[in-house]
Amino acid sequence: MMKKMILAVSLLGSSFVAYADAPGGPGCGWGNMLLKGQSGLPMHFLATTTNGTSGNATFGMTTGTNGCSTSGKLTYNGKSLLAINGVLEEVAQDMAVGQGEALTALSVSMGIPAEDRTHFNAVMHQNFSTIFTSEKVTAGEVADNITAVMQKDEKLAKLI
Amino acid sequence: MLKILLTTFLLTICAPLWADDMKALANDPEWLALLHFNQGATLHGIGESYIDDSSFFIAENGKENAQAELQATLSALQPLDSSLRCRFPARYLFLARKLAWTESSPFAHCTEYLEWRKQIPSARAVLVFPASYLNSPSSMFGHTLLRLDASTTPDSVWSSWALNFGADIRGQDNSILYIWRGLAGGYPGRFTVVPYVTKIQEYSNMENRDMWEYGLRLSEEEITRLINHLWELRDTNFNYYFFDENCSFRLLELLDVAKPGAHIIEGFRLAEVPVNTVRTLEDKHLIADRVYRPSRAVELQADVDALSLGERRMARRLLENPSLAQSQEFLAYTPEKRHLIARAAWRALRFGQRKKDRSEEAAASGMVLLRTMQANTTQAVTVPEPAAPEKGHGTQMISIGGGQRASQGFGELRYRLTYHDLLDNPPGFLHGAQIEGLDAHLRTTESDQLKLESLDLIHIRSLSPRNAFVKPLSWFIQTGLERAPVYHERQLVRFVQGGAGFSWQWGAMQPYALTALRLENNDSYKPFIEGGGGAIVGALWYFSPVQLHVSTEGIYFANDEYRYSTQAEMNVPLNRQNGLRLQWRQDYWRDDHSQELKLEWRHYFD
Repeated sequence: MMKKMILAVSLLGSSFVAYADAPGGPGCGWGNMLLKGQSGLPMHFLATTTNGTSGNATFGMTTGTNGCSTSGKLTYNGKSLLAINGVLEEVAQDMAVGQGEALTALSVSMGIPAEDRTHFNAVMHQNFSTIFTSEKVTAGEVADNITAVMQKDEKLAKLI
Repeated sequence: MLKILLTTFLLTICAPLWADDMKALANDPEWLALLHFNQGATLHGIGESYIDDSSFFIAENGKENAQAELQATLSALQPLDSSLRCRFPARYLFLARKLAWTESSPFAHCTEYLEWRKQIPSARAVLVFPASYLNSPSSMFGHTLLRLDASTTPDSVWSSWALNFGADIRGQDNSILYIWRGLAGGYPGRFTVVPYVTKIQEYSNMENRDMWEYGLRLSEEEITRLINHLWELRDTNFNYYFFDENCSFRLLELLDVAKPGAHIIEGFRLAEVPVNTVRTLEDKHLIADRVYRPSRAVELQADVDALSLGERRMARRLLENPSLAQSQEFLAYTPEKRHLIARAAWRALRFGQRKKDRSEEAAASGMVLLRTMQANTTQAVTVPEPAAPEKGHGTQMISIGGGQRASQGFGELRYRLTYHDLLDNPPGFLHGAQIEGLDAHLRTTESDQLKLESLDLIHIRSLSPRNAFVKPLSWFIQTGLERAPVYHERQLVRFVQGGAGFSWQWGAMQPYALTALRLENNDSYKPFIEGGGGAIVGALWYFSPVQLHVSTEGIYFANDEYRYSTQAEMNVPLNRQNGLRLQWRQDYWRDDHSQELKLEWRHYFD
């Protein structure tokens, strides 16, 4: 009975951790996972008469960073590229293919110089399964895995 | 006290602005652009500012009086450490340039503005045009937004900033009044600045709209002027009007601020259709280059088109059951084909999931497909680039035609405000998409004078082909007045009709089948509104030199009356703005039938 309870609590705990955004508070997007679609958007027939921006319309201001960690090269403007809805699967796709706009955007945001990008793409492509370990992998885990893979590569380790 | 004396002293020793100079400066195109004054371009409030926000004006009557606003701005911004400078940096720089003010760091005390300014890149400005997509007729008019890049040749534009003017609908989504309010100024409009990648996700990924990116010929100085003025517009409300004061109009105003001598907005603009914004900029030689960004739907189609019929079936089965990736059948394909098949299935999966909540099953399938893609040899597929939207025909149309109906000759004159029917010159438009608004036909016969033959207020058809991977609905709606056989007369009836159904693509032919419901009011049927139901079945062919449409439709009314017709139509484009249309139709109704043949010369213009 006790064992079952402990197991249940630990499972609860682990799932909580898996869904919590880290590092930083909610809204940082580190908890984003693959194929998280956007449901509940206003009917598009109506939306195109106004072309507006619903939700948190911004003005390019990063008023503070909403408590999101800005350390590490994968963050820009307080939010990670990987945390933006739809981007994680773009990056996954490009890594599976070996090249693409998402992969380039990622390497640019990480500060990887132009002459090293082809090598970066190749290393990411080869190590796809190490970076995207399962369908449940989160954006935060992917960021960590990318860093780990780069560290193991002679050329890329210097760029971290 | 000393500060006040010093300020007053400085104010007096600066060259006094005589009344004439003040008037001239107040009428400077750059000043009027900064205030967003309506100089006759649209109908609302000529001679005053478009901006409805009182916080935008320093003078009480600043909205109506450019000179008063100039005076007030001068007094408020000239003193050192003036806090209003931080609110109006573009105005300060305008005055400083015109009046030779020589302060070296005028904004040293404006920390918020300086911080914001640092983040906004000013190396290159790009006009982005998300084109139309099927099943959203109003998107046919397109949209325009501005992108600001950090370099003239950026390696990645995802982190560029996108500047968008649109209605502020926060907290009011899903309102049925949405359309009306968007059209009639019920929403405030404002500028927002977001990372460009979110716009790509929104337009290309979610809404399946191709995006066209037009690099603009603006110097860094001009772009800086635009950005400084943008700061002045933060949180400022405009009224948003779908037709004339919309996203495109506001962007043109911004470009007028950047390039005041260019008079980008000139003359009267009845409606600002986004595609015409592109044409205006092209006429002013402000477009340097053009980049095509296909939507996710187009990329999916390109991958599917690269597969044979058998391979497509395999992709469909793989999508439904990813474990087939281990099957002998799948492994029999070459590594390149395996990659393509898995990629087509992956794209289809993403397409299908994009508006849904996350599903574990879909994510697991996706993972298998991604691994399959990675394990096999990458095969590139070129996406064909369609004709650019500005290369399409004009938004308005007049036509002159003639023919014979029921052995009587007739002449016809026609005017259509907007925009495109199923067969109008295709380049720059989607196949199967029609949106017509305010379409008037006038006919004269040998015995009759000029009479109204029909007046369509709106006629929309959205025929979206279904295939193994995507299953959209096709639909239509039409309302207006038209001549219809009512007993033994040809009456001008008032009607609304619409319906939904399916469409497919079989080689070069696009067949469709739609149900139809009709509500009609005429002078003979007893009930005020008579209802009827029926169907429309037809097919389209889009060849380069000619386009064809055949269809048959019928309505059976509740009062036991019926009408059905068969039509064949052919469009021959002559050049971008001209075309010939030949139409034959046979109409049947309970009491009789008639035949009509018509030849029309169509001329499009803006």
